[in-house]
Amino acid sequence: MPTASRRRSGGLSVLSGFVRVGCRAGLVAVSLVAVPAAFGQDAAAWLQRAANAAHGLNYVGTIVYEHGGRVETSHLVHLLDAGGEFEKLTNLDGPAREVIRNNDLVRCYYPDAKIIRIEPRSFRNAFPSLLPQQLNALAAHYFFRKGELARIAGLDTQAFIFEPKDGLRYGHKFWADVATGLLLKARLLNENNESIEQFLFTDIQIGIKIDRELVKAPFAGTPADWQVRESPPGEVKPEETGWLVKDLPAGFSKIVEGFRTLRGKSAPVAHLVFSDGLVAISVFVEAAPTTPQPVGLSHQGGINVYSRQLDDYLVTVLGEAPGATVRQIAYSVAHR
Amino acid sequence: MVMGKLQGAPGDDLAPGAMKSMGAGEGGGGADTNSRHVAERISLLVDSELDVEHFEAVCICLRDASSMTTWVSYHMIGDALRGSAAIVPGFARRFADRLAAEPTVLSPPRRRPAPAAVAWAAAATVAAISVVGWVAMTTLPAGDGSMSAAIATAKLASTVRAADTRPAVDNEYLLVHQEYSPTTAIQGARPYLRSVAATDPDARP
Repeated sequence: MPTASRRRSGGLSVLSGFVRVGCRAGLVAVSLVAVPAAFGQDAAAWLQRAANAAHGLNYVGTIVYEHGGRVETSHLVHLLDAGGEFEKLTNLDGPAREVIRNNDLVRCYYPDAKIIRIEPRSFRNAFPSLLPQQLNALAAHYFFRKGELARIAGLDTQAFIFEPKDGLRYGHKFWADVATGLLLKARLLNENNESIEQFLFTDIQIGIKIDRELVKAPFAGTPADWQVRESPPGEVKPEETGWLVKDLPAGFSKIVEGFRTLRGKSAPVAHLVFSDGLVAISVFVEAAPTTPQPVGLSHQGGINVYSRQLDDYLVTVLGEAPGATVRQIAYSVAHR
Repeated sequence: MVMGKLQGAPGDDLAPGAMKSMGAGEGGGGADTNSRHVAERISLLVDSELDVEHFEAVCICLRDASSMTTWVSYHMIGDALRGSAAIVPGFARRFADRLAAEPTVLSPPRRRPAPAAVAWAAAATVAAISVVGWVAMTTLPAGDGSMSAAIATAKLASTVRAADTRPAVDNEYLLVHQEYSPTTAIQGARPYLRSVAATDPDARP
């Protein structure tokens, strides 16, 4: 039923080749605005289709998450109906965990600890509002090209590749269901073209009728012996925080800045987000806690995190970018 | 004296432990800061990532009992996480008991530095592992830097192949960040899995 507008991919390689030449020749800054716009829009249109499919289709399947030599399997149900978007994620390995989302409200169930965490989250911020400079950044900093046709979870997919032009960002490879555009596999690649993390469906049914029952919480209400932990509302009020990043890696531009209240933090934390159109990097600045805080580089899956102390503040930078990139940003955070 | 020498390398911002702004001049936390510096350098040494120039100084530091404890603990955590055969059943328990029986080590006048550093390391490893490890973590008392908790964590996490003694990833930050990540949007809530699955419900009150 969801016959999404099928993109004709025949023109993509021609376009990307054209853009490649355009960018090489285009050391002149002007070309960043002029030539790659078509490229950027084309890549963006494709990303848009994937985003629309992820949010607008009904699907149920088994998803495997691989990172750092580990594999985790989960069951995913996604439903869009009159009540909005519903999603239920259940891990199939180890102790049961359930994540249930209805629009911007996420509930995480931890049966072993008898804890429910309620996370008000906004998912509207990331996409589809690619700003013009982000479109240009996509074109200027990634080669976008079509990859192979592959069969994944029994469906025909088309691979698409965003290959970074510099060492400041990772490579991305996506496999989209040919019929709907839904991503059935996504892989993050380092500079040696090695997979850092990967999501893939091992089985999936798309466009089927899904009963609300399938995205229901394990129980209504809260059992007496369970605890509820609720996080503060997630929205950022855009405002100047008094912080800036002096040496921003090429292609990244600020998409939001403001303070936010976070669970476990006594005072609001400054939050700045930068994006190159494909990934985001967050900068958090908080008053340095009295207890010693870890500093340096760490990671979780494809997300690198760099923390450092700056005067009486703790700066934490994280995003789906190489360690050197988040570190560079961490070291160029300064008072405005 | 040796510690003073270690601390006197503030320009070395490559080392994760280099925190110039937390120098001894601030808030009178000199002893803590020194010990923390040493602990971080020991962590680098264990990871074979210590700069050659700091090598000798750190080795001299290891003559100090608390530094040695830190060094042993880092190795033990690494071994446990790598699933190395070096850890025999009951070793962690006996080690913890022995440490508990040595108040000069476990409870120095300013008791924060080394145990806290070990707790970070343990927390980091657990953060890096996700579901399985977090479950182990949820069964532990709140992380106040207690050595036995750190050791228990390392032991419980020993089924997981990870030897990362880097800082823990702040899950609250991770969750908030993903609201803005374009890749979250194109993949639905799938990237959300990595933060939610790794979120320890007991991490904070």
